[in-house]
Amino acid sequence: MHAASNKPILPGRATTLAVLAALVCATPVFAVAWIAITGETDDYLLHLARTRLPVYLLNSAWVGLIAAGGAGLIGTGLGWLVARTEFTGRRALSWILVLPLAVPAYVAAFAWLDLTEAGGPVYHATQGLFPTVRGAWGAGLMFALVLYPYVYLLARNTFDGQSADAYNAARTLGAGPVPAFLRVSLPMARPALAAGLALVMMESLADYGTVSHLGAPTLSIGLIRAWSGAGSLVDAARLSLILVAIALIVFGIERAQRSRARTHHASGRHRPAPRTRLTGWRGAAAMAACLTPLLLGLIIPLARLGWLALHSPPAAGLIAASWHSFTLASVSAVIAALLGLSTAYALRGGSFAAIAAARAAGLGYAVPGAVAAVGVIALLSGVQSAIDPAWQSLTGQVFPILLTGGAAALLFAYLSRFAAAAIGPSEAALARVTPALDGAARTLGATRAQAMRRVHWPLIAAGVTSAGLLVFVEVLKELPATMILRPFNYDTLAIIAHNYASDERLGEAALPSILIPLVALLPMIFVARYLSRTGKASGTE
Amino acid sequence: MNHARVLAAAALAAAMAACSQPADDTAAGDSATESRVVNVYSARHYRSDAAIYAAFTQETGIEVNLIEANGDQLIERVRADGPRSPADVIITVDAARLHRAEEAGLFAETDFSEFTSGVADNLIDPQGYWIAFAKRARVIAYSTDRVQPGEITTYEDLADPRWHDRICVRESGNAYNQSLLASIVARLGEEEAEAWAAGIVANMARQPQGGDMTQIHGIAAGDCDVAIVNHYYYAMMANSGNPADRAAAANVALIFPNQETSGTHVNISGAGIAVNAPHPEEAQALIAFFLSDEAQRMFAEMTNEIPVEPGVAWENPTLDAMLPFNEDPRNVSELGDNNATAQRIFDRVGWQ
Repeated sequence: MHAASNKPILPGRATTLAVLAALVCATPVFAVAWIAITGETDDYLLHLARTRLPVYLLNSAWVGLIAAGGAGLIGTGLGWLVARTEFTGRRALSWILVLPLAVPAYVAAFAWLDLTEAGGPVYHATQGLFPTVRGAWGAGLMFALVLYPYVYLLARNTFDGQSADAYNAARTLGAGPVPAFLRVSLPMARPALAAGLALVMMESLADYGTVSHLGAPTLSIGLIRAWSGAGSLVDAARLSLILVAIALIVFGIERAQRSRARTHHASGRHRPAPRTRLTGWRGAAAMAACLTPLLLGLIIPLARLGWLALHSPPAAGLIAASWHSFTLASVSAVIAALLGLSTAYALRGGSFAAIAAARAAGLGYAVPGAVAAVGVIALLSGVQSAIDPAWQSLTGQVFPILLTGGAAALLFAYLSRFAAAAIGPSEAALARVTPALDGAARTLGATRAQAMRRVHWPLIAAGVTSAGLLVFVEVLKELPATMILRPFNYDTLAIIAHNYASDERLGEAALPSILIPLVALLPMIFVARYLSRTGKASGTE
Repeated sequence: MNHARVLAAAALAAAMAACSQPADDTAAGDSATESRVVNVYSARHYRSDAAIYAAFTQETGIEVNLIEANGDQLIERVRADGPRSPADVIITVDAARLHRAEEAGLFAETDFSEFTSGVADNLIDPQGYWIAFAKRARVIAYSTDRVQPGEITTYEDLADPRWHDRICVRESGNAYNQSLLASIVARLGEEEAEAWAAGIVANMARQPQGGDMTQIHGIAAGDCDVAIVNHYYYAMMANSGNPADRAAAANVALIFPNQETSGTHVNISGAGIAVNAPHPEEAQALIAFFLSDEAQRMFAEMTNEIPVEPGVAWENPTLDAMLPFNEDPRNVSELGDNNATAQRIFDRVGWQ
C-alpha cells in the first residue's frame, strides 16, 4: 500500500476557502473584543463585581446545566428510540421531533408563564399547586424543551449510522439492552452528543428574552443591563468576553470528548442496526416518550397562544413576513451547509489554521445576539469608513451605505452567529468516514471526486443537511441581529411575534409564533425526502 | 440531479433576497422625480403606529420607511452609520433612551415651537433635541378587596414595612422601573432613593417575573396586594378580549401616586430629527403630524397613551376615568441624567 493512500481524501482548494470563510465569520466576535479592549474604563465593572456579578454567574451556571442536562436526556433518549426501534408513527415523528427547535425559547417562556403564573389557567386548575415556571430552573427547562432537537438530530444520525456490530456483540456477551446502550452505543455517540450539548449550552447562556421574562438573571442580563441601563456598550462587550471564554471551555471539552472517542468502524462495511420492533405497551410508551417533549415544547405553548389569539385582533403583514423569514433562512441554510461541509473537510486535513479558524467561527454563537449584531455593525461601518478616503478622492463623496442595512449584512450576521451550528454536525458526520474507507476507495481506483460523491456523501448527507436545517430554523427565530440589521420595511415572523409579545399582547403574537414552526416544516420535509432517497441509493436506510 | 436542484434553489432564494430591497433604494435616492420619503428608526412597535404612518402618508404623500428595533440598538446603528445614516426621525419609548441618543450626538437641534404651542415645557428637551408626543404614567395598582382607597397615596408609601410581602413588580432591567427610580433620585437624592428601593425589595411578595400585566394578575390571584405598573397595561386588560384579563382588572384599581406632593411619574414616547437626516423637511412634517389632533387622538384611542397636546378630543372611557392627574413637573430629560445612578442602586439593593 502506498504511504499516500493513508491520507484522508480532501477537496483540495475548497478547504483553503473554508478556512478563509470561517475566519471572516469570526470577525464580528473580534470586533466585539476590539470594542471591549479599546473602550474607556470606568468603575462600572467593579461595581458589578461587588454587587450582582456572583448572582449572574450562579444563574448562568444553573440555567446552562439544567438546559444541557434536560436537552441531553430528551435528545439522546429520543434519538435512540427513533434510530434503533420501530413503532407506530416513528417515521413521521423522526422529523416532527425537530419542530420544537422552531419555537423561540422566549415564546415558550411567555406562554408557560402565562399558563402557570398566579391567575393563569394551570394555576387556577391546580389551586396553585403546579409550580410557576420561572427562575433558573424554569428558564433551563424552557431551553431543554425547545433546544433538545440539537442533541436529538445529532444523536439520531449517529445511532442510525452506528454499525450494529458493537451493540450486538455486547448483547451477545450477555449485556441487557440498557447496559449495552450505556456502555457501548452511548460512548460511541459521544462526539455527536457533545457537539449538540455544547450548542444547547451556548444558546441558553447567550439568550436574553427568556431569562429576562422568567426572572433568572444570567450574565446576558448583566451585559444587556450594562448597555441599556448604565449606557456602556464597552462594558457589555467586556462581559460578553466572559461568555466567549466559557464557550472556549465548553467547546474545548467537546473537542476533548471527540478525540478521546475516535470510534472508527472496525470494518469499512457499514451495516446499520436493524430496528427492534416495539409493540403493545412498549410501542405506546415509545410514542408517549416522543409526544411528551412535543407537547411541552411545541403544542402546549402554541395552543395557549392560539387560544389567546381567538380573543385578539389578528396581526397584519404575516404573508410578507413569512416570505422574508423563509428566504433569509433558506439562503443562510444553504450557505451554512456549504460552509459547514467545507470546514469539516478542512478540519479533516488537521491543519492548525483550519482548527483555529473553525473554533473562532464557532465563538459567534457564544455572544448574545444583540452584542454580536453590534460587532457586525461596528465591523461593516469600520470597513465603510476605511474605504471613504479612497472613494472620496474618486467621487468626492463618502462611500454609500452599501454594507450595513442590506440583506447581505444580515446574512453575514447569521453566518457569523450560527457557524458553530453549521460546522458541528458536518464535522461529526465526516468523523464517521474513516481513512480506511478512503484507502479502500482509492484501491478500487476511485477518483477523489468519485470517492467523495459515492463514498463520503451517503455517509455524511444526513449530517450536512441537518446542519443546514439547524441554521434554517435558527435564522427563522433569530431576533436581535434581524431587528437591527434589516432593510427598511422588512419584518420577519420572529420580529412580529416579539413586538407583540414584548408589549404583552400574547394573543397577537400567537399567529406569527405558530407560523415559524410551520415554515420550518417545509425544509424538514425536503430534507427527510432527500435523505431517504440518498439512503436508498446507498442502501443504508 | 439532487445537488443541482439544491444549488438552483439556493441561487433562486439568493436572487429573491437581493430583489427584496427596493425600499432601501428609494430611501437612498434623492431624485426630484421620486416620491417624497421619510426614514424612521423607531423603538415603538404598536399596531397603532402603522395606522398613524398610513394616515400621514395619505395626507402628505410622504412615504414612510420604517425600521423598528430596541432603542439601544437603534442608537448604535445610527451612530455607527454616521454621516451615511439614512435616518431622518428617531423615536424611542423612554426618555432615558432619547437622552442617550442625544449624548451620542444623533439629533439635530430643532425649534419645536414651530410645531406646537401646547406641549408642556417639561416634555421638550431643554436643548431642543427631542420632543415628547405621548405620555405614560407609572402608577400603583391595588387589590380592591384587600386595600382601602387612601391607604396608599405615594410611591414612598410602598417602602413602608406595612407593605411587607405584599408588592409585585417586574425586574429592574425594565426601562420603566429605571426611569421611575431615576425620577426619585432627581427628586429626593441618591441616598433616599436607595433607601426606597431597598424598602421595595424588602416588601416584594415574590421575585420579579413577567411584564406589567403579570403583576396585575398577581394581585387578582392573591399573590400580592399592590403592584407598580404602567397605566395603559391596566387599560389593555380592562378592555381585553380575554375574559381572564378582564376578570383580573375588575378586582384591581389604580392609584396615581403623589397627587398631593410631587406628582405622578410620567415617561414619554418622544422623537427627534437625525443630525444627518437626508430628508429634514419630511422629518419635520412627521413630527408635526405626531402632534396633530388626528395622531394624538389615535394614541389615546389605540394604545391608551396620554396625549401631550391639550384640547384633543378622543373616545376612550377607560383612559378618561384615569384623567386628569398631577404629573411630576420635572423635565423628563432628568430621567436620562439619573438613569445610570438608578441602575447602580438597583444592583446594590438586589432588585433582580
